[in-house]
Amino acid sequence: MATQNFDVCVIGSGPGGYVAAIRAAQFGKKVCVIEREQLGGVCLNVGCIPSKAMISAAHLMHRVKHDAPEMGFEIKSEIKLNMKKLVGWKQSVCDKMSGGVSQLLKGNQVTVIRGEANFKSATELEVKTKDITLIIAAKNFIIATGSRPIEIPGFKIDEKDVLSSTGALAMDELPKSTVVIGGGYIGLEIGSYLAKLGGQVTVLEATSTLLGGVIDRDCVQVVERKLKKNGVSVIFEAKAQGFAKLSDGYEVSYGRGDKKEKIKCDKILLMVGRRPNSDQTNLKNIGIKIDEKGFISVDAQRRTSISHIYAIGDIVGQPMLAHKASYEGVMVAEIIGGVNRAYDIKSVPAVVFTDPEIACVGLLEHECKEKGYSNLKIGKFPFAANGRAVSIIETDGFIKIIADANTNVILGVHMVGPEVSNLISEAALAIEMGARLEDIALTIHPHPTLGEVVMETAEAALGHAIHIIQKPLARASVEAAARTTH
Amino acid sequence: MAGREVKLPDIGEGVTEGEMVRWLVKVGDLVKADQTVAEVMTDKATVEVPTPVAGTVKELKVKEGDIIPIESTMLVLEVSGTAGSAATVTPAHAQSAHTPLSSAHRRETNNSETKVYPPTAGAHVLATPATRRLAREINVDVNVIAGTGPVGRVTRDDVIKTKTSSKSADAMGGAIVISTTSAGPTEKRVPLRGIRRKIAEQMQMTKRVVPHFTIMDEANVTALVRLRAESKEAAEKYGVKVTYLPFVMKALISSMKEFPMFNASVDDQAGEIVYKKYYNIGFAADTPNGLLVPVIKNADKKTILEISKEIIDLAKKARDGKISLEDMRGATITITNIGSVGGTYATPIINHPEVAIIGMYKLDMKPVYKEGAFVPTQVMNFTVTCDHRLIDGAVAANFLKAFLKRIENVGQLILEMT
Repeated sequence: MATQNFDVCVIGSGPGGYVAAIRAAQFGKKVCVIEREQLGGVCLNVGCIPSKAMISAAHLMHRVKHDAPEMGFEIKSEIKLNMKKLVGWKQSVCDKMSGGVSQLLKGNQVTVIRGEANFKSATELEVKTKDITLIIAAKNFIIATGSRPIEIPGFKIDEKDVLSSTGALAMDELPKSTVVIGGGYIGLEIGSYLAKLGGQVTVLEATSTLLGGVIDRDCVQVVERKLKKNGVSVIFEAKAQGFAKLSDGYEVSYGRGDKKEKIKCDKILLMVGRRPNSDQTNLKNIGIKIDEKGFISVDAQRRTSISHIYAIGDIVGQPMLAHKASYEGVMVAEIIGGVNRAYDIKSVPAVVFTDPEIACVGLLEHECKEKGYSNLKIGKFPFAANGRAVSIIETDGFIKIIADANTNVILGVHMVGPEVSNLISEAALAIEMGARLEDIALTIHPHPTLGEVVMETAEAALGHAIHIIQKPLARASVEAAARTTH
Repeated sequence: MAGREVKLPDIGEGVTEGEMVRWLVKVGDLVKADQTVAEVMTDKATVEVPTPVAGTVKELKVKEGDIIPIESTMLVLEVSGTAGSAATVTPAHAQSAHTPLSSAHRRETNNSETKVYPPTAGAHVLATPATRRLAREINVDVNVIAGTGPVGRVTRDDVIKTKTSSKSADAMGGAIVISTTSAGPTEKRVPLRGIRRKIAEQMQMTKRVVPHFTIMDEANVTALVRLRAESKEAAEKYGVKVTYLPFVMKALISSMKEFPMFNASVDDQAGEIVYKKYYNIGFAADTPNGLLVPVIKNADKKTILEISKEIIDLAKKARDGKISLEDMRGATITITNIGSVGGTYATPIINHPEVAIIGMYKLDMKPVYKEGAFVPTQVMNFTVTCDHRLIDGAVAANFLKAFLKRIENVGQLILEMT
């Protein structure tokens, strides 16, 4: 059996794996990446990127329908959706990105091996490719095999009757009615775009809150209102139990308290979360420790219980986000390259591409209290008071900044509104830098942009935003506020 | 047959590199699993590195004298079997030359129990990502720095200052630069490593923490010289050479029993004084690598002969670079003896967290004025250096007096021996 030797073998080419491979190669290591599906993993092929393509398309259609007439466009004929073409375009986006990854790996002399990998021992991996079985020996391994959708009793994902996000993104016909099981970010993102494209969408959420209850309540409220407006109905505390096939679709049954209810639909999407793929790759048998939730146990350097094997991304725990995986990928590659690094961050920003978008970084209000910050300054500023937001007819939402009242150090930033996925990076930088409210308030933000809202929110937290009416401050306290920068 | 790389294992205790002291195998040698293949000196001790697998030595990757980081490849073995040629093995653990290091282990990692050093920054630490990275790269824990920036922000300068103050050693030994003039090299820079670095750190730390003072006096050792001469003769039958040091140890132990604060330490963290009921006497040994302090454990319970033997053994191990960490641990007080070299008096530095160090100096013949005449007398100088936080000047003076009384009056010394 042919054995190939590498310094670093990365299993999985998602946003954790391929990034780790490139960085390791930059350190002069001989690197291979093993991928059983497409380069770029879930993120590039059936996750982040295609869903954003679909969301942008749906949003464009929505704007043409609703905002264009308001701006003075007379649209004479109906805007017709060619779902096949749309999905084809979405696929071209993915192919471009996946091709880019391929180019980057090649340019960095990373060997790409397509096949299914299983550890034979702590130093050897068996890879079944289409034609042959290879043995890969490496000094270091990086497990970046990610996660897959969770199933619940009564719903088995077969991408025919019950679709996961993968199947949902590939639908080349718009279902007239869709039941989305799960009101997490994946369910809401996909549900929203289906509704905007013209479908009828019902979200069944088992709890009483959307987005897993981990997002600022006020932010979620804005999205909840907009969902309703866009034609997505959410049924809370609805536990999906099973479905029956009808001649013209499906009937999903769910329990609500004691009551049993039924709902008809053309498509069933199951989006109740993701689970780590730690049951694969023969990890357990070579002695890699896995915790009770199925995540690989790792230290701050992402070393597993076998010190030359690292693990990154979804498979090591929450938050299961691509950018966290990439950060870990770079970090682990540098550790292998001999640099002392550790997962030493203050916060992982999170973005949800609902309408409007949600983005947050740092602590929630109650988390601040739990961490011992008893005295908080909270500023909130609406997009409705921002010129740019008004000019693009995207005025729903606000930004909220929470700071320690004693030091004005920013602890958490929560945003809901247009393009907040792009605005959150400033807040993430602020938190990593240990910035204070004044640092943002005293930085000139260009006009007219959505970014001004960040500055105004910082001002609002300090008590003196310009473009909203705050309680008039006595002259002395305005001066005192202006002097807080020590 | 396939090649296997054997790496320098994680020795634990925060050790990141070691100096290859000696290869115990050569190319072509057949080695068994767990056989010791090399001796590596870290800044703590010399450790023996075993190979985890059997095979034939194919290549030695490092030379004696090389500084090698943990996890780097030391040698390549030719082993039988199907293993790939790039397969690597790291010995499960290295063994200290004489006593296994209790904490030396293969890094077992788990979410909660791992020791990544420096630890990651806590939630309340204010430091920019760049500052945090710098701190990690130069091994500074940002969590313990009192930041001087706005609202306690840890600045780049704070990190660098912490590094230079705690480890001025490292700062000095950074780059290897040989500056030259037209006349040739006038300076040579050598990295501060291993034992030298450890000494530098320890001394720096002690001088910063402990307020030292020294009290000195001369003792008439005529009787002691005679006692030692007679003991020496007797001990020769046992093949043991008896020096003055064990007698001084005994005099010291008796005096410490009278003055328990000399057999104590200050627990800086707890803010408590720890009085010890055991007597472990460290003695400073000059070695080619620098100062080492082997320890005679429970010296109060050992005979002069036993102590003499132990001193000889430990001193030899120290000189040969074979002394283990265990042999240098747990001293309750230290004696430094530079008498064989010369010098009237010195002001040594305490071996923190001990609270005193005894100095003994050259044995000399001096005219001592006694009852109207100068009498040739054998004298030896002694110093007691104390941690003034615990020991006051008057107490030290009384202690020195009590100690010298035992040195001068061997009758009392022998009376109190156990």
